[in-house]
Parts: sequence; structure tokens; C-alpha cells
Amino acid sequence: MEYILIKTLEAIATFILAFIVGMTYGGVVRKITGRVHNRLGPPWYQNFIDAFKLFSKTRGIHHGAMHFLGAAFLMVTSVVSLMIIPVLAPGGHAWYNSWFTNMNFNGDLIFLLYIMTFGPLGMAMGAGQTGNPNSSIGVTRGLSQMVGFEIPWVMALVALMISYKTTSVIDFMNIQRETGTWLMFANPFAFIAAVLAMLGMFRYSPFDIVGAPTELASGPVSENGGKFLFTMMSSGSVFTFAKLVLYVDLFMGGANNLVMLVVKTFLLYMIPVLYGIVSPRYRTEQAVRWFWGWPTFIGLLAILYAVMF
Amino acid sequence: MITLILLLFLGGAIVTWLGGKLSPIVGDMLFLVTIIVPAGMFFTGVTVGEVTHIHALGLTLTWGLSPLSYLFSMIVVGLGILLAIYAVPFMKGKQKTGAFYFNFTLSVMAMLGILVSKDWVSFFIFWEIMTWSSYLMVILNGKDVQRVGIKYFIFSAIGAYAMLMAMVVMNSQLGSFLMADTFNNFQHLTVGNQILIPILLLTAFGVKSAMMPLHVWAPDAYSNAPMAYTGLFSGALSKMGIYGMVLVMVTMINQLPEGTLIRDIIAWIGGFTAAAATLWAITQDDGKKLLAWSSVGQMGYIIVGVAIGTPLAMLAALFLVVVHAMFKGSLFMVVGAIEKQTGTTDFREINGLIRKMPWTFISALISVIALAGIPPLAGFVSKWMLYEALIQNNNYILVILLFFASTAGFLYCYKFLHGYFLGQEEPEWAHVKEAPVTMVVPMLLLAIGTFVLGTFPQLLFKPIDSALQYVGYDATGGHLWGQSILFSEWGDVVTLQPILYAVLAVFVFFALFLWFKGTKGTRYVSTKDISSSGELPKEWENLTFKVNFMQPFERVIEPFLKRQIDKYYTAFGNGLEALFEFTRRIYTGNGQTYAIYAILFLALLLLFRVNLFG
Repeated sequence: MEYILIKTLEAIATFILAFIVGMTYGGVVRKITGRVHNRLGPPWYQNFIDAFKLFSKTRGIHHGAMHFLGAAFLMVTSVVSLMIIPVLAPGGHAWYNSWFTNMNFNGDLIFLLYIMTFGPLGMAMGAGQTGNPNSSIGVTRGLSQMVGFEIPWVMALVALMISYKTTSVIDFMNIQRETGTWLMFANPFAFIAAVLAMLGMFRYSPFDIVGAPTELASGPVSENGGKFLFTMMSSGSVFTFAKLVLYVDLFMGGANNLVMLVVKTFLLYMIPVLYGIVSPRYRTEQAVRWFWGWPTFIGLLAILYAVMF
Repeated sequence: MITLILLLFLGGAIVTWLGGKLSPIVGDMLFLVTIIVPAGMFFTGVTVGEVTHIHALGLTLTWGLSPLSYLFSMIVVGLGILLAIYAVPFMKGKQKTGAFYFNFTLSVMAMLGILVSKDWVSFFIFWEIMTWSSYLMVILNGKDVQRVGIKYFIFSAIGAYAMLMAMVVMNSQLGSFLMADTFNNFQHLTVGNQILIPILLLTAFGVKSAMMPLHVWAPDAYSNAPMAYTGLFSGALSKMGIYGMVLVMVTMINQLPEGTLIRDIIAWIGGFTAAAATLWAITQDDGKKLLAWSSVGQMGYIIVGVAIGTPLAMLAALFLVVVHAMFKGSLFMVVGAIEKQTGTTDFREINGLIRKMPWTFISALISVIALAGIPPLAGFVSKWMLYEALIQNNNYILVILLFFASTAGFLYCYKFLHGYFLGQEEPEWAHVKEAPVTMVVPMLLLAIGTFVLGTFPQLLFKPIDSALQYVGYDATGGHLWGQSILFSEWGDVVTLQPILYAVLAVFVFFALFLWFKGTKGTRYVSTKDISSSGELPKEWENLTFKVNFMQPFERVIEPFLKRQIDKYYTAFGNGLEALFEFTRRIYTGNGQTYAIYAILFLALLLLFRVNLFG
């Protein structure tokens, strides 16, 4: 019993960390976008203000049971992937390291690939029940885009699996610690393919076809306000953090302490953000075809590289 | 015991047929008794390993139950019971109930017969009974008999002739119809026969399991048969092909030096089947067709697993065999319930049934999550093992293909759920009620089954493990499968129980949070009251997004969709017809024409100065 309690507290600590970092990143991105657009932009803590406002709303509407469950499904994906992905590298010696172990040893990469799709699909159900056509259009676009970027992403992961004969994230981190080489240098093609897939995964321009503010009125999120939007927003922040940590774990050797973690994830996060700020939006079919073009080719190269060397 | 059960099924089928003539209720009752009594006897009375011999017509038929066939017959009997319970309300008020019950019972009997056959003769006989009864089911509603029925029939005939030829060759060379003899003496055959026989048998089994390019009958046949039968058709009947494939793979192909090549080819065919059928499923606008294509795709996964043939791959394939029967059975029942309650299965017509048929929706949701392979449901277990097996067996590109098929599968999963249950609620469908309890309970049971197996897969690993050991796999790690942990040779691990508890805890916490936070201030509004850029849609305005649902994605895969194997078959058929037409011009049936032929022939002979009369 005591064990479960401690585990739960640690999980909550991890969640709060992910929430704070993710929200801050969101605010900073808004600021950076504003500056690039030659605007002043909102303050970096704007996302916290928004979340607090949404949380304290007492009135709202819903369209049925699935509307509630959709947001809960979304949270399942964010939290469970956060629990499985090792936040800090196992070799670190900071006093808080053991807090973030959670369920690291209970799942592997293939599990992560699938649990990461659980939320979007559940969310899609919720969006469907609202009856808003924009929501459904956004969902079909999002799923199509997922089929697009999943190919180079899986190719990059399979390349890593071939090289090191494991599918466990912890094992990849240990290998990087032992050899002293980050996997982004050990198999550069895999890293490039994964980063290209990441552009679609984070849904910044030119791949922001799901939300598409001017066409779809923010797509699946429309019809949601108050507590629903609060849950989705926090889920999005936590999930962003979890995905970034996964990339850092796989390709940049993980982080031994929180400062390194923030630095590495932030640098990685800037790739889709900065690419997005200066890009217009693709059409859905253009986006999918883009992912099946060069990124897939580089993914193939990554697999070839892994087989040969 | 086995003989008795089969006889009970056969007798019951006839009695049900006759009883149905007296009164529909008698027919219903007799049908349930016919299915449930022998099925109950099967679960209680039959022991694995028992063998009976039957002497008839100068032949000795040998029937017995092996661990492998026990695994498959669990599917047949279990699905048979649930579908029988479902079928009675489903068929109420429909035409040809008697024929339906008769063929249903015969199918179940034939499948059990195939599984207990230990010699090729009875195997073939039962195979033909199965084909015929399913053929009669496909044309039961009398629609598209020409197109659908004949297509199914021709492909079944190709499969049957291939099998018959293989049997005859085996018997002439080895002098025995016993399966065990043919497998054990396989080495004594000539090299040509050693390759010919497995290929013939694989053709026969490939037809039934809808392996590309032999699949063209499947989408039409699945969607044309009554939905209460299609669950059995797709869930159990197509698995007979897999059963045969497993037998051929482990006994014959393993003894061949070219075995790995054949295995690779079949694995690639399976992978291609999975991917292509998934893409076709995405383009369908009818729930039946969508599920039919999806069945073809799932069979592709199973074929890949069987063809790879490592212990882990076999485990994955056989696990998926059982789980696919469960979720696809449930999904076909869902479509049947919707057809029963609304009269149509077209996504573009039905909207927003979620609040009218909540239990049907829940079964559909759980089954679809299992179908998509998302943890913590059972589909994930088999997908995980299959991917691990493929990567460890160095099939890197094939694993990418399967990942692609599986991800693209989400599209049709969503299309299915959205098509029937989500979207705007229209007054046109306001009258729809939930399906009767006897229809809802079977589908819900199957859906819950996928949930249980997703967390406690060891329930199924044990029978699969003994089946695999029976066919000759010695190291499947059976002793380690007891703890609901997935693992592979590389030491990769997924522990399912903590994951399930974590998922449930998070899900329940946030569902309760969303429900209880500000409940009083949150009110329900109808799907007509939505934000649409400041305008308020009127009651008669239908804003549902259903037509061309996956259009952007369809545009991407357009080049692929242009290439249909069906078209090539049609072209081939047209070519044959032209040939027959030409032949008909020669054989006109007119006596004078034939007389001219005779004279011309004689003239020809004279021309070449052949001495006719010595």
C-alpha cells in the first residue's frame, strides 16, 4: 500500500514537471512566434493564465457521454506515455532522480508507438459526437497525416532496433552512456528521418492542417471550452514534453539532471517551431505525400545503414 | 464422442429445417438446441487426443482431436453459440429462416469436421460441405447472385480442385490418405512433387483465407451473406484456411530445402494483402464492405505470422486468429444490429446513433480499439509479438509495411465508428431503438473478451503453446507465459497488468474530474447547437460530414487504387468469353456445317495424297 502511495506521488511529481515545462514551452513559442512576426507577443506565462481561466469557468456545454470520455482518453495517452518514457537517464546521480522512474520498465518502443495513438483516436470520438463538421474534418486530416509521418518515424526506430537488438528505451540510453556516442551521430540517417517525422508530429506549420485556424476554426477542439479545453490543453502540454523527452532519450543520450533535460528538449523543440513560423500550410494530400517522399527515403537509408554497419 | 457431436449437428440441421416448416418458433427453439447441445457436449465431453475410426465405402476415415485443432474448434464452437443466440432475433421476420438455420448448422458441423479429420478424404468432404453451405448463405438474400455468388464459387472450385489434385498425387505416390502418413513420408516424394503438393494445398487454403490475389471473392461474399453468418464466415470459416496453412507450413515446407524462399514469398503476399486491403477498406462507404476488406487485411497479418514461422510469430498469428474471431464477430454483429434497427448500413445515410444504441456503441468501440491494436486490448498483444518476431527475423521492410497497414487501419476504424454512431443527430433516425438484449449480449461478451485477453493473455497462451508443441515447436517459452508479461528473445518486455491499472486509473480519474467539476453549470445541448462561425444552423440543415469522408487520403493513394486485380480477372474472363465465342462459330450445331467440315477434311487429306484405305 505504501509502495503504491509513493509511486502515485512520484507520478504526480512527474506530471507536474511535465505540465509546467510543457506550458512554459507553449508560452515561449508564442512569444518567439510573435517576435519573428514583428509583434510584441504575449508574455511567456500567458499559457498559465489561459489554463487558469479555463479551469475556473463554472458554466459550459456538452454534447453527450463521449464528449467527456474523449478528453479523458486524450489524458490517458499523455500520462501513460509520460510514465513509460524515462524522464531522466538511469545513470544520473541527482537526488531527485528516483522520483521520475515511474513505469519505465513496463513498456517498450512498440508499446509507446501504439499508446501514443490511443489518445488521438479517443479524442476523435469525442470530436465526432459534438456533431461539428469542422471537428470531423480535422480528425480525418489528422489521421491521414499520422499515416504520413508514422512511416519515416517507424523506419528510424526500426533502424535503431536493428543496430542494437533491443526495443527498450532504457537500453538505448544505457548503450549511449556506455559507448559515449549519441545515437544521432551513430546513425545520422535515423535521426534525420525522425526529425522530419517530428515536424508532422508536433503539428506546426506547414503541417498544422488539423487545427487550421482559418479553415476549420481549430478543428477537433472546437465545441470545447472550460474544463474540456483545460484538460485538452494540459494534455497537449504534457504530451509535447513526453514526446520531446522520448527524442532526447533516443537520440541525445537522455539527460542526467533537469537542467540538461530542459536545454536539450528546448533545442530540439525549436526545430519544428522555427521551421513552422516561416512556412505556409500544406494541403492534406501534399503533407502526406511529402512524408512519403524524402523522409521515407532517408528512413530507408537509415535501415540500410543499420544493416550494413 | 466426436462422431456423435457431428451427427447431432447434421441431424439437428435437418430437424430444424423441418421444424421451421411447422412454425417459426419451433424452428428457432430447435436451432438453438441444435447448436448449443452438441457445443456443450464438445466443451464437456471431448478430450484432446481421442481418435475414432469409421469404415465406410471401403475407406477408413480417421477422426481425432489434436491440440491445434482444439484451439481452432474453440473458435468455431464458441463463436457458433454466440452467433446462434444472436441469429434468432436477427432472422425474426425475415425470409428463408429455415435455409439460414440449416446452412448455419451445417457450416459449424463442417468446420468441426475439418478440424477433427485426420485423413484427407474426410477433410475434403467436410471442406466441400463448408464451401457449399457458405455459398448458399452468400446467395441467400438473392441479390447479385450472378456477380457475387459465381465469383465465390469459381474461386472455391479452384481451391477445391487444387486440393483434390494434391490429394490424388499424394495417394498415388505414397498410397495413403492419412495425414500423418503423408506428412511423415513427405521426404520419399520426388522433388517436383515435393514442391507441387505444398503449392497446390497453399492455393486451396489461400482461397479460403482470402490471400491476395485469390481474395477477390471475399469482400463481396462477406458483405452479401446475412450479418449473423458473416461473423462466423470471417471469424471462423476463413480461419480454416489458416489451419490448413499451419499444417502445410510446419510439416511440408519445413522439410523442403527451398522452404525459406516459399515462406518469404508467402509472408510478402500476406504483408501486401494487409496493406492493400486496408487501403481498400478506407475507401468503402458501406459498413459491411469496410469490415469485409478489413477482414481480408487482418488475415494478411495472420498469414505473415504463419509464414515467418518462428515460435513468437506463430504465437502472434494464432493469438490473432482467436482475437480476430472475437472482435470481428462482435463488429459484424454490430452492423447486423444496425441493419436490423435502421434498415441500412450506408455511412452516408445513418447519423448519430450513439445516444440511441449505446450498448451497441460500447461493443463497437471496444472491438474497434482491439482491431486497431491499441493497448491495453488484445489486438495489441498479437501486433507486438508479430513486430518483434519480424524484426528479430530480419524482415525489416515487411515490418514497415505492416506498421503502415496498421496505422492506416486507424482511418477505417474511425470511419466505421463515426459513420454509424457519431455526427449530427437527425430527426430522421429519432425513432431508432437499441437492439434486443439477445443481440446485444453476445457482441458485448465478445468485446469484453478482447479486454480480458488484452490483460491476461496467458489464458490463451497456454492452449496455443500446447498446440505449437504438438506441431513440433519445442521452445516457445510456454513456462514463462504465466504472468501476463510479453517478452521476446531480445529481452524486450511489456508488462500488461500495471499498464492496464495505470490506464484505468488515469482514465477514471479524468473522466470523474470532467464529470464532477462544475456539473451544475454544464448543460447538454443537441448536436444542432454548435459553433459554426457565428451562424446558428437550422433544424433542417444537415451539417454532418459523411460523403467523401477520407477524400484527402484517397487522393494520396489514388495511383494505387487504379490497379485492381479484379480488373485483370475480368479481362481474363472476357478473353475466355471471346475464345468461346470463336469456338461457337466453329461448332454451330448445324448439320450442314459439320458436313462441310467433313468434306473439307477429306479434301485436305486428298490434297496431301494420303492413302486412306491402305
